[in-house]
Amino acid sequence: MAHGTNNGLFENLRLELRRGSLVVAVLAALRKEQYGYTLRKTLEEQGMEIDEGTLYPLLRRLEAQGLLASEWREEEKRNKRFYRLSTEGKAILKQLLAEWESINESLKGLVR
Amino acid sequence: MATQLLERYLKNVAKGLPETQNEDIVRELREDIQSEMEDRERELGRALTEDEQMAMLRQRGNPWVLAARYRQDGRSVAFGKELIGPVLFPFYLKVLSFNLGLTSVVVGVIFAALALSGHGVRAGDMFSTFLLQLFIQLSVVTLIFTLIERHLAEHPDRWNLGGTCGTLRLDTKVAENMPVPFEGKRKIARLESVSIIIASAVALVWMTGVRTYPFLILGPAASFLKLAPVWYQAYFPIVLLTVAEIVRAVINLVEPDWVLFRHVYGLFVHAGGLLVVYYLIRGGVWLIPESGGPTSALQVLNQVIYGVLIVTAATSGTTLAVRSVKLVRKIRGRRVAGNGAR
Repeated sequence: MAHGTNNGLFENLRLELRRGSLVVAVLAALRKEQYGYTLRKTLEEQGMEIDEGTLYPLLRRLEAQGLLASEWREEEKRNKRFYRLSTEGKAILKQLLAEWESINESLKGLVR
Repeated sequence: MATQLLERYLKNVAKGLPETQNEDIVRELREDIQSEMEDRERELGRALTEDEQMAMLRQRGNPWVLAARYRQDGRSVAFGKELIGPVLFPFYLKVLSFNLGLTSVVVGVIFAALALSGHGVRAGDMFSTFLLQLFIQLSVVTLIFTLIERHLAEHPDRWNLGGTCGTLRLDTKVAENMPVPFEGKRKIARLESVSIIIASAVALVWMTGVRTYPFLILGPAASFLKLAPVWYQAYFPIVLLTVAEIVRAVINLVEPDWVLFRHVYGLFVHAGGLLVVYYLIRGGVWLIPESGGPTSALQVLNQVIYGVLIVTAATSGTTLAVRSVKLVRKIRGRRVAGNGAR
């Protein structure tokens, strides 16, 4: 019973930790222009699985915040919405990566 | 078929999306799902079966929950704890606005009819009737949606492409090229029919008793009050409507598949009931004094009965209007389904 509870707790904490990293992951992946489906695949290949119900609302939020730019374009006879990092997004990503490095270093020190 | 299932899924998502972004979001989701389906087809080297497509859509989850993720407002109804969450809130608001709008119209029509038929109608009466309706509608709709919310939380996977989710069916509009049967394969539960037969039979016996022994309804007041003649005039129509309901329940007990029959028949019975209520309202007096009895409370009692009848008429009129609209939609849906099958 206690083992099951621990598993559930771990899963919640794990998801929380990953959720916090999603914005950085998405911004980093969009340094190269991609449309939603390929972005999802790229993240999945890198071990950052994200469901579309989370990804697309997140993309919209980031675009509304000016961190992403998007445009509809035809590719393989189908219209797709391509996303890329905006200038502001690039600057924010740089800051976030620095922050991530700093957190990483702190954690390494703490767990050593 | 792939397109049909996908379009039906997207249509359900669209119902819960903010109107300004609706088209754009649906377009992007369509593209994403199509890409995924095509990838899967490439892997398998064949077209996906209908079950496989449905499984893929199911994996994406309840369309209303998906739509709610796009809404940034996160509006909900809470009373201490959250009763209606962001997923159902827009539908709750829609149903409540529709019901209240319709109720206002029905109350207005009833009071206009009373005024035209020479009854003194006071603004206060109309206002209090509307307030009471507002309270009833708010309580009932909130209660229903609270129950649906609980059901949705307990069974997030129970939804289908007919637009049903957690026992709730909110939007029955179906595009012309999308044959979605409105009622699905639902049947009328035999238990429901038996319950109606028993309840109506008990009501019949009780009504017969009241006619001879008014104390069954008036209690101790029967010693100084009696029912006005309008009740005796309305007695046979009321009995007729009750018998009609028993007949209908017996038919549905034998033929539980006759769902449309119940809806159409029910509309006529309901309309008949509304006419009886209107006739009773027109009576003007519902209780009269026994010879020599005190009359001080009589005016108050008649006023209360008047209020109850008005509220009954408003509720009944609203229900009738809602059911009529649903029936028209259902028939239209069937016709579309028929055309699609051809």
